[in-house]
Amino acid sequence: MPSNILHFFDNFWLAIGATIAIVMAYLSVNAIMLIWLERKLAARIQRRIGPTRGPFGLVQQIFDMVKLFSKELITPDHVNRVLYLIAPVMIFAPVMALCTLFPISATWVFHDYSVAVVLLLAISGVNILAIFFAGWGSNNKYALLGAVRAVAQNISYEIPLILSIIPIVMMANSLSLYGIADAQTGVPYVLLQPIAAIIFIISATAETNRAPFDIPEAESELVAGFHTEYSGMRFGMFFFAEYSNMIIVCGLATVLFLGGWKGPYLPGPVWFFIKVYALIILMMWFRWTFPRLRFDQLMKFAWMVLVPLALINLLITTFVLKLI
Amino acid sequence: MEWISEYSYLATLLVVGALLGAMPVIVPLFISPRSRGKKKRDTYECGVDTLGSAWVRFDISYYLFALIFVVFEVDVLYILPIAVIYDSGVYEWRDFIEVFIFVGILFLAIIYAWSKGVLNWRSE
Repeated sequence: MPSNILHFFDNFWLAIGATIAIVMAYLSVNAIMLIWLERKLAARIQRRIGPTRGPFGLVQQIFDMVKLFSKELITPDHVNRVLYLIAPVMIFAPVMALCTLFPISATWVFHDYSVAVVLLLAISGVNILAIFFAGWGSNNKYALLGAVRAVAQNISYEIPLILSIIPIVMMANSLSLYGIADAQTGVPYVLLQPIAAIIFIISATAETNRAPFDIPEAESELVAGFHTEYSGMRFGMFFFAEYSNMIIVCGLATVLFLGGWKGPYLPGPVWFFIKVYALIILMMWFRWTFPRLRFDQLMKFAWMVLVPLALINLLITTFVLKLI
Repeated sequence: MEWISEYSYLATLLVVGALLGAMPVIVPLFISPRSRGKKKRDTYECGVDTLGSAWVRFDISYYLFALIFVVFEVDVLYILPIAVIYDSGVYEWRDFIEVFIFVGILFLAIIYAWSKGVLNWRSE
């Protein structure tokens, strides 16, 4: 059985404090490094050099953080103040709780919930609400369009996402992330469930609003989409949340399809993070390879291709599981 | 009563997450410069004066998608408990037949929406 931070510390508040310290330190470093990685990767794909300040351009991100922090926060006159101010806080709120759900190795997990998969999907739903608060509260036409599209896109791609998880749950007979990763003895589920894995990674890209599904913030038509009216660190929170959400969906994909911490020679946490960052680089690669879809194509793709495909895959899985 | 401390751990993290999320947007209020200007706090509309409010009615198609979403989301959640005990040897073929009928009915929902033209984005 994995260790449990509540038992490890005995004291509830001590456990909470330790969790916050670990997760916040990780998330801040991770966001800065991912932004650096994305800029460098984008530059290399487009045959540019990218950021150059400091060794490998790493210092550039520190400057950018300082700049974001010292920018003035402008609240436009005609906004709905409650929704407008609450949205950047709300988009960050679920991130930390979600990060604690993942089993990093056979013995390292903050807390193993028996319904972790459902919890993760439920808590990440807060994201959509925050995006809609931001777009509606801004009282800006671009922001509203961005928010409406974001909600339509997120709810549409949530269905194939869950439908691609269900065959995995059937095979592992468990809803706990630890249980699912532990059930993958020998062969990871990506080889047994290739269709589900492809559907999952497409839907996950759409759920995080990343290109080629970045229609909510399509900069060439909607300025900046739902965060058009946000400046300084309020915008920074949306930015930060995007990169943290990438970690969460890629972590989920790692656990569901790639066997979590399992791998030869190297220790568990190393394998876990290698797999997560490989998936993140894949998502960044998508961004600089595929052109953006049109909105009606996007919705059609979700409902006419992904959902029927996921349902058929589910039926085939149920049948094959009965035969073996 | 183990589960109370289990889930209060997660709930506390959600609250603390919100408090920590509030910090970066409060700190700049004290350290950032202030600028003045007549147009500074206007709604952004690509350089021209703002026309009217953004709080208007919009396309009904979005609402139809939301309706199908509710149907599917609820139904899909019903499959999860079956999936947890699926093929655990208790029910022989009964669970397969039940899932088959259930997913079949879900398929009918898609086919119905498809034939009604909901999935084809309204084009003029």
